[in-house]
Parts: sequence; structure tokens; C-alpha cells
Amino acid sequence: MAVTTDTASDERTTATDEAQVPRKQRTSGANVWFGVIAWIVGIAFFFPVFWMVLTSFKTEADAYTTTPKIIFEPTLEQYEGVFAAGIGPYLANSVAATVISTILVLLLGVPAAFALSLRPVQKTTDVLFFFISTKMLPVVAAIVPIYVVVNQIGMLDNIWTLIILYTGMNLPIAVWMMRSFFLEVPGELLEQASIDGAPLWRTLREIVLPIISPGIFATALICVIFAWNEFFFAVNLTAANAGTVPVFLVGFITSEGLYWAQLSAAATLAALPVVLAGWVAQNKLVQGLSFGAVK
Amino acid sequence: MAEVVFDQASRIYTPGAKPAVDKLSLTVADGDLVVLVGPSGSGKSTALRMLAGLEPIDAGSVRINGRDVVDVQPKDRDIAMVFQNYALYPSKTVAENMAFPLKMRGVEKEERAKRVREAADMLGLTEYLDRKPKALSGGQRQRVAMGRAIVREPQVFLMDEPLSNLDAKMRVQTRAQIAEMQNRLAVSTVYVTHDQVEAMTMGDKVAVLADGKLQQYATPPELYDRPANAFVAGFIGSPAMNLLELPRSSSGVTLGGIEIPLTREVTNAVGSRDKLTIGIRPEDWVLESTDADAGSVVKAVVDVVEELGSESYLYAHLAEDTATKIVVRGPGRVKVRFGDPIAVRPTAEALHVFDVESGERLD
Amino acid sequence: MIDRAEGWRRRAPLLPALVFTIIVTQIPFLLTLFYSVQSWNLVRPGSQSFVWFANYVDVFTDSQFRQVAINTIVMTLGSVLIAVVLGLLLALLLNRQFVGRGVVRTLLITPFLITPVAAALLWRTVLLDPTLGLVNFVLSPFGASGTEWISQFPLASVMAALVWQWTPFMMLLLLAGLQSQPSDQLEAARVDGASAWSVFRELTLPHLRRFIELGVVLGTIYLVNTFDTVYMMTQGGPGVASANLPFYIYQRAFLGFDIGQSAAMGVVVVIITLIAASFALRLLFRSFSVEEGI
Repeated sequence: MAVTTDTASDERTTATDEAQVPRKQRTSGANVWFGVIAWIVGIAFFFPVFWMVLTSFKTEADAYTTTPKIIFEPTLEQYEGVFAAGIGPYLANSVAATVISTILVLLLGVPAAFALSLRPVQKTTDVLFFFISTKMLPVVAAIVPIYVVVNQIGMLDNIWTLIILYTGMNLPIAVWMMRSFFLEVPGELLEQASIDGAPLWRTLREIVLPIISPGIFATALICVIFAWNEFFFAVNLTAANAGTVPVFLVGFITSEGLYWAQLSAAATLAALPVVLAGWVAQNKLVQGLSFGAVK
Repeated sequence: MAEVVFDQASRIYTPGAKPAVDKLSLTVADGDLVVLVGPSGSGKSTALRMLAGLEPIDAGSVRINGRDVVDVQPKDRDIAMVFQNYALYPSKTVAENMAFPLKMRGVEKEERAKRVREAADMLGLTEYLDRKPKALSGGQRQRVAMGRAIVREPQVFLMDEPLSNLDAKMRVQTRAQIAEMQNRLAVSTVYVTHDQVEAMTMGDKVAVLADGKLQQYATPPELYDRPANAFVAGFIGSPAMNLLELPRSSSGVTLGGIEIPLTREVTNAVGSRDKLTIGIRPEDWVLESTDADAGSVVKAVVDVVEELGSESYLYAHLAEDTATKIVVRGPGRVKVRFGDPIAVRPTAEALHVFDVESGERLD
Repeated sequence: MIDRAEGWRRRAPLLPALVFTIIVTQIPFLLTLFYSVQSWNLVRPGSQSFVWFANYVDVFTDSQFRQVAINTIVMTLGSVLIAVVLGLLLALLLNRQFVGRGVVRTLLITPFLITPVAAALLWRTVLLDPTLGLVNFVLSPFGASGTEWISQFPLASVMAALVWQWTPFMMLLLLAGLQSQPSDQLEAARVDGASAWSVFRELTLPHLRRFIELGVVLGTIYLVNTFDTVYMMTQGGPGVASANLPFYIYQRAFLGFDIGQSAAMGVVVVIITLIAASFALRLLFRSFSVEEGI
């Protein structure tokens, strides 16, 4: 694998050396139509999101009309309202749970991925199998004892409970994903380093880490997305103290129909961080969600 | 300055299975460039990696300058290696790549810079010292890998197919460059390739391997003139030697209706075998007139003509035995075409005689 | 080959993650197993007692549980299959050159990124509201105005939201598949005179097969755990018409406080999932056969 990658990049460099500009593919007539269809479908899929953001800048009166309004006077009053309703602490909880759990995942996961790839332990396959199988067990079957135990040790409605659970939830994915990045490091490089006399930690720090750091970054972003969006543990194990943004949104299902604009503002605030993270990580999303099976 | 000795060295991946390298014994004299050549799976790369310390030595020993290195770490063997894909550190510049092994050995900063500069000069890399490997062409990367090996001033250079990722023209150029540099530095070098032309042109001595076993270890001319067995005979030389399984006659062997005489020594060595594998290099045929007497020439029909300018190769099958194919070297401007009859005669002195079963050379 | 000390040196970086994962993910399942043979209701302190398989008997005689199990299958497989088909069409579109392809891709993946709770809220109100929702507004020229999607078609409504969120994922997966197809194969087929349709059927589809299977398996693993969408859109209602197993178990545990009963359901779900997962794992490991590392 490493061989082909290297040769390919070789050819690319040679091509640039000879100043060959890649020929621009001609856009044929059929492709124009496919492009138009793709744009229409793309906009259709995106439209609800667009509408949500648009509605968040409306007054409730503008939001609540039989004929949807596109032209209106934008206002920030809904965002003010959402913060007045107390989304602040929930946002802070979400940030804490997401950031701390992601850091923990990386601290535990990077060494583990290393031990399952470059200097593999015996029974590597079994360990990998174990990690992945934990993702296949439905969390719903574990929630009852988790609730009971957390309740008994007095950790209900405590942000650390979520941090630990989110770490456990994301760790298997992160290990698999980062392992696939470690495996992309050509073996020759490590052999060269051992001949050069570099000690292991130095090889890792100076040679391996620079190569896999984009992969680690993508892994972190995917962990951020999952942790931020998590709802099941949050709604069952937290309340006013440690509640995250999705828990805050639950408040809106009881006041149905009355606060569409404010609801949209809250939903926009909830969705924004992960939408941005996801846009940045979009090339690695599939790799993360398929446990590294698809590059 | 070092002598490298493989002494019955073996590598056995799975106990009980066929060894990847089977009791390899050979000596690389100080300052020599020795080429390990063989088809893929012959164990040549494994042998090199055993010398580097990247593969364990399961039996026998490997000695560098008299020191047994079986339990010595790669970094302590005082070797430098050039990998097939160059193994340049992507996050480091050319200069940093070349200085890295020195840095790991605690060489002073000024000394490092000086040695890197010298090597870069020698290899024409001076203007690229601040670039990352990504921004170099294949040939430049190859030279950086060479440079990184040179600055080490090691006892032994190890090279694992260093030219296989270059295009044909670069390969010929770099081949000469490596040979020249190795002569100048006079550092013992073990060089692995699957390309017999590289082996013949670069090696002071060449070790031909097949199936993990050493087939022959000799200088290039010896290898060409007196291949130790049918495998080496067929592997060295292009186009390959004609290897024909022929029945014995009273004083020689029979080919295409004519008798090819064997010398007395050969006849003695052959003993009572009633069949022999006879090797004839393409250039060891004499093209005769097609009118020649049927008893004195082998008649054949041309299938393909390869004209190379200075010479040509005729691929033909025997007229009376169409399953037997031969390759004959002809002059640069040959008149024959597909389907034409030709008549050839082997040069008796240039025959190679091998046992049919074992392939061993008999004469 | 690897001696003991070296073995432990290699294991050391792995152990913290392994131990952590075992504690956080495995112990709860063992406890679930233990609770499932107990009768225990949280609102009646001291009610905990050992009842063998009574909870399991209850689960299998519970007609609601059967309804919910069927809902789960319909919801999961239905959403996954629709998302795969739509995702394939979108991937084929996006695999072509056109102006702004990157932008369209970014637009398309956005639904997948939206916090599911926010997405469900959006569907429930702004999109599917019978009088003021966008869907009925768009469909009003076709005489569909006033349809009460959530109460008349609760399961379909939930599935619509799920399909909207998961189609982008399938698209990304299949697009990766399409782009991994060696272009020389396609060129060879073109030179051989194959039509676009036969190239698709004879080459692209077989190549995509692995990716489609992977999409179905991964989609199933993720979607069988759907909770947020059901919770936010329908609360499983009316009755249990749109409840799936995660939601039903949640109801039993946190609204009914019946620990034993919900644990038993959890075990049943685990067993069903394990059967499905064993297929999934085989498939995943086959996908990983490209890596010699294992």
C-alpha cells in the first residue's frame, strides 16, 4: 500500500516539475444538466436548515404565518430571548463535556491506536474486535444500570458523568480511526529511523506525529460532533445543573407552536458548532463513521 | 572499512516452513559492491534486512568486520540503508533529513552542517537543502536518500532496489552515479535488485538467489560465461540463454536432426545420462545459408524479428519440431521476416551442459 | 518471538484505554443481566427480589413490546434502505464535474451534522405543522393542505426526519466508493464500447456493492439506537404507534421505574443486536482485508 501511494505522489511531483498543467475536463452538455439537478437537490436538502436560520432572525409574528415569509425585518431579539431563557449554562456544559471528553479520548486513544498498529500487541485482532463490538451494543440496554449506579454514587446531574460516558462512547471509534492513520505511515520510515538510531519516543514525536496529525485532528472533530449531539445519556442523567444544549431544547416541545422563532434561534445555536466542525472534517467523516473502513 | 560475512545465515518465518533465506554463506570483501539478485520471493531483500537488523537471524550468523551482529540493534551496526521508496521523513527538510542520523549519534552541529554540505555538493542537492521531500522529483528524492547514507560514513551501505522507482533514463544515469560514488568512497556495499542488468553492470561480485538459496556467487563475467546451473544460466543474460533438453547420441547430443559433438571432458562428466540440458546463448549460433546440407545445420522458421539497430534477435521454432523454440542473435540489418526459413549451427565450444534433473552444470 | 518484557512494553500504551472501555461499557451490561432477573421498581423502595425469568416471560407476552419491536425493524431498515437509495443517486450526481460541486456537497451533508434533537424539533414544528408547516405549504397546490403528518403518520414522519439526516452519510460513503473505482477500468470499458448504463451495471455497481453493504450495516447499527428523534417528534405516540425499542425501554425505566422489566428488554435487544452485529462484524472485517496490519 505504502508503495503505491509513494509512487503515485512521485509521479505527481514529476508532473509538476515538468510544469504540466492538468488538462481541465471539458464540461459537456449532459454534465451541465446534472449540475443543475445537483444544485436543486442540494438546495432542497439544505433548505430546512436555511429556513431554521432565517426563522431565528424573525419576530414570532413573522415566523407564525400561513404563507411563509421570506422578506422581513431581521431581529436579534430571539437570540436575546434564548439567552434570557438561560441557554448559557447549557452551552457551557456542552462545551465542557465535549472538549474534556475529546481530550480524554485522544489521551487514551492515541497510545492505544499505536499499540494496535505500529508496534502491535499480540491478539491485536481480538482487541480491535472488542472495541468495535462495544459500538454495536445498544446503549439503551446499559442505561438502566448506569442510572442506578450513578444515582447511588451521587453523580446524577454532574457534568463529569457525561464526560466519562462520552469518552467511553467515542474511544472505540477514535481508536479504530487513528489506527488506520497510523497504518498509513510507511514501515520503511520507522525502519530508517531505527537504523538512524532514533529512540522510540523521538521517532514518534518527530516523524510519526507530524504525519498523522491531520488524522488526529479529524478524529477529534468527529468526537466533538458525537459528544455535542449526544442526547440519550444527557436527558436521562442530567437536569438543570449539568444539562447540555440538547436537553435545553426539550423545553420547547411543551410550548409547541408558540415560539417558533425562538425555538429556531435555540436550534441554530445548538447546531452551529457541529455544523462548522463537520464542514471542516467532511472529508474524514465517512472514515470516522465507518471505523476507518472507508478512506 | 569492513568485510561482511554471511555464515549459514537463515531466516525462517514460520517454523517448519521453507526458510525465506536458507543457510546463506557469502563474504563481501572490504570496499566491494556486491549485488544480491534474484526473482521476487528469492530472499534477496530478506537477506539484506537480516544484515540491517530489521529481520532476526534465526540460524547461523552475520558478521561485520569480524563482529557477530546477530544480537546487535540496527543502530549499533554502523550501517546506512537506502530504501526502495527512499523513506525520507516528510516533515523534515532535505538538510534535516540528511543530518538526522548524525544528530541521533550526537555529532556536533557544525560538523553536521559541514558533512551535509559536502554530501549535497557531491550529489548536486545544494539548492534543495531547504525543501521538503514532497517538493522534490523522484530522482532528487533518491539522491537525498543516498546523501543521508553518505553523511553517516558507515562501515557498510545497504541498498534495497534503490532505482526501481525511477524512470528508465534516470535509472541508467543514477546507476552509473552510484557505482562511481561507491568506488570513490570505497565503502563495502550490499545492493539488492531484481534487474540482472543492474547486477551485471554494478557488482564487483554478484550473488544470484532463488527460493532462499544461493545459486552462485561470482564476478559478472564468470556468471555469464560459466553459470553454475540452469537457473543462473536462464536468469543472467537478455534475451535469455536457449535451454534445450536434448537426447544423447554416440558422441554428443541431437538437435533438429543434426549431431552436436561434445568435448571429451564433457563426455566424461556426462557419464551415462541419456538426456542433457544444453544451454546456447543467442550469440552462440552461427547463421548459415538455407541451402546448406541438411545434416550440418538446424532448420528453423522465424516467428518474430527484433531489430535493435546494432544487432537483431530472431525468435524461431525448429522446422521438424515446432514445439522447440530458439532465439538467435543476428546482424543489425537482417533480411529475414516472419515465416522465413533459416538455418543455424551452434558454436560447439560455447555450449553449456547441465543435468536435466538437478540443473547442475556438468562440464 | 516477543518476550515477556517486550510484550508488556507493547501492551502498556493500550491498557488504559482498554481498561477504561471495559469498565464504562461492559460492567453496565453485566449489571443489566443481573437486574433482568430481579423484580425491582424504583418507586417502591425495598421491592428488589429475585424472580428468575419472570421478566422475560412478561416481555414476550407483552403485545406492546411486539408492536414496538416491529416498529423498530420498520423504522431502522426502512430509513436505512431509503437513505441508501437516495444516497446512491446523490453520489452518482456528485461524482460528476460541475460548477460548485464542493459547495453542493457541503450543502448536502449539513442535515447529517445538525444536532438530531434540533432537527427533530425543526421537523415537528416548522416543517410538518398541519397549518403553518412548510411541507403542507409546498404541497398545498396538490391538495394536501391540512394533513396532520405527526398524528396521522407518526412512524413515517419520524422516518422522514431520519432519512433526511442519514441520506447525506450514505451519499458520502458511496461517493468515496465511486471515487475509489480505478478510472482505467472505466476507460477500458469505454474503449470496449460499453454504454453508460452497462458500465454502471457491470462495473460500478459490483464495485459499490461492498460500500452499499457497509452503508446498510453501519446505518442499521446507528439507527437501531434512535432515541432523540422519537422523543422529540412523537414521544412514541399516539400510543406506541411510533415507539421503537430504545424509547419503549426508556419509558419503562424512567416513566414506569420498572428496572427489572426494562433490563430484561435490554437483554433481549442486546441478543437481537448481537445476532445482527455478528453479520456486521464479518462484513466490516472483510472490508478491512485491505489492511495487512491485522
